[in-house]
Amino acid sequence: MRWIEVTAAMLAAVGVLKTVTAIAVETAEIRNFEISEVAPGNYVHYGSLEERSPENLGDNANIGFIVGERCVLVVDAGGSLPVGRALKRAIRRVTQVPVCHVVLTHVHPDHFFGAAAFIEDGAQFIAHRNYPRQLAARARPYLSYLRRDLGKAAEGSDIVEPTLLVDGRLELDLGGRSVEVRAWPPAHTDDDLTVFDRLTRTFWLADLLFVDHTPVIDGTITGFLAVMEDLREIDAAHYVAGHGRSLAPWPQPLVPQRRYFVAILEETRAAIRSKKTIQQATDEVGLAEAKNWVAFDTFHRRNVTMAYTELEWE
Amino acid sequence: MSNGTGRISILLAALAFALPVFANEKAEPDPARSPYWEPIKQLMFGDRMINPDDRNVIRVYLNTRADDASTVPVAVKAQIDQTDEDYIKSIYLIVERNPSPTAGLFHFTPSSGRAQVETRLRFEDFSFVRAVAEMNDGKLYMSQRWVKAAGGCSAPNGRNFVPEALLGKMKLRFDDDTITYGKPTLVQLMIRHPNESALASDFDADKVPQFVRSVRVSFDGRTVMDAQVDFSLSDNPNFRFFFSPNDKGELKIEVEDTHDRKFNHSLPIAEGAPLPGG
Repeated sequence: MRWIEVTAAMLAAVGVLKTVTAIAVETAEIRNFEISEVAPGNYVHYGSLEERSPENLGDNANIGFIVGERCVLVVDAGGSLPVGRALKRAIRRVTQVPVCHVVLTHVHPDHFFGAAAFIEDGAQFIAHRNYPRQLAARARPYLSYLRRDLGKAAEGSDIVEPTLLVDGRLELDLGGRSVEVRAWPPAHTDDDLTVFDRLTRTFWLADLLFVDHTPVIDGTITGFLAVMEDLREIDAAHYVAGHGRSLAPWPQPLVPQRRYFVAILEETRAAIRSKKTIQQATDEVGLAEAKNWVAFDTFHRRNVTMAYTELEWE
Repeated sequence: MSNGTGRISILLAALAFALPVFANEKAEPDPARSPYWEPIKQLMFGDRMINPDDRNVIRVYLNTRADDASTVPVAVKAQIDQTDEDYIKSIYLIVERNPSPTAGLFHFTPSSGRAQVETRLRFEDFSFVRAVAEMNDGKLYMSQRWVKAAGGCSAPNGRNFVPEALLGKMKLRFDDDTITYGKPTLVQLMIRHPNESALASDFDADKVPQFVRSVRVSFDGRTVMDAQVDFSLSDNPNFRFFFSPNDKGELKIEVEDTHDRKFNHSLPIAEGAPLPGG
């Protein structure tokens, strides 16, 4: 090829690349947003296990939807408006039935910042009774951290207040299919909800279950272990974790998480009994678990801090 | 752990891309040149000379990289014994980038044994924490450490909610199993209190600051530790300090908070009697 043709080709390629990049930055759209039908009518998008970044646009949690004859119920909206929008487009690829309910499983940004995408649907935003109190305390810092991490791509991501609070169990009819939304005592946070699709016995646990990703304690470790005893009894044929995925039959995926929490619980209690300071405990507790989990360096020591400050009152 | 290092590189790359502000603050700045310190120093100490301490009088102990910005354990330990002639009268604990920089002012006496206090602090931004010791003759000595933590004042964690029935409840834990008269023993005081500034909560109009303002520990009427503190301390304020009784008596704690609430706790102390240790 003559040099002028090569140069022209390169310039054209650069021109195309710049245009494509410009489009991508301006609309901050997520392409290749994959969903899997884990059970009939239950669709899941598995988020990245990595930390929030402009590359993943806060797509860091598992989210999805359940389709009834009359209604769609959304379980979590993702970590930013682009994620919520991508989920909405995925719903429309599957069904034209309206979104009636958006369940906000708990007050963590990777699960709720996409909720603004569903405001125009006139959906009910459903949350735990304790959710508004936590949201009020965290909304402003969460928004500023989102803007810090995602920059312009955070535009439009906003706090959405729940319109319906759950305290106990709530049964919802999606048209030919019944779904139970259940509020739990403090565990991962003090405002955890799960969703159970009765038709397929699919159990959406949100962050009451972590697979591969270091489980996070932002509520109470003893409470989390107690709730897990109840989770084990649920007769689930399929399940969806808040982070990660597994093929193991229910309730096996609870086993590694339980082992991790019990290690923290027992070693922290021992540390407290032998008069170790909180500093010593965070240095020493639970290190054998490091090889079993992703993002361990980011979350483990804070988990130990939470456990220590809880257990020292025993 | 190849997974771990791979992900850490991705994380660092993402951080470098997304947090240009923080990239400048990763390297520890020169404590003598901190722009935040000058105005605080002027306000609190005027033109008094502060001796930079080469670790002979007072030392700050902590982990530079904090795990939880709302619960950063900090220990300030005197390197000298308290004597009647020569003792540390006060220790100022300052987090220079916090909305309220003076986290605590702790008073000691010759009978404190050692002027030492460990507590847990909130850090709003990467900052120096400084301990200034004031001697009985007025001389000032300072030690400081750099701490990498952010969001501790404005971004609360799930623990902050303390039920009404538990507010102000206290617990004492001792390192030793029992008291020996004349021997200093390390005691830990824990107070149930959200200790919050309400800085984060402009979505909640009812939220007002609610934090512990003063803690007075005395034994038989004599001060063991006297502290003025604020919301730079973590929720459920926690203190470890020395206590050296010479006879049996009552250890008394008096706590006051911003709502003018007073909380009291006491424990009888006698040589040989078992102590709460947990």
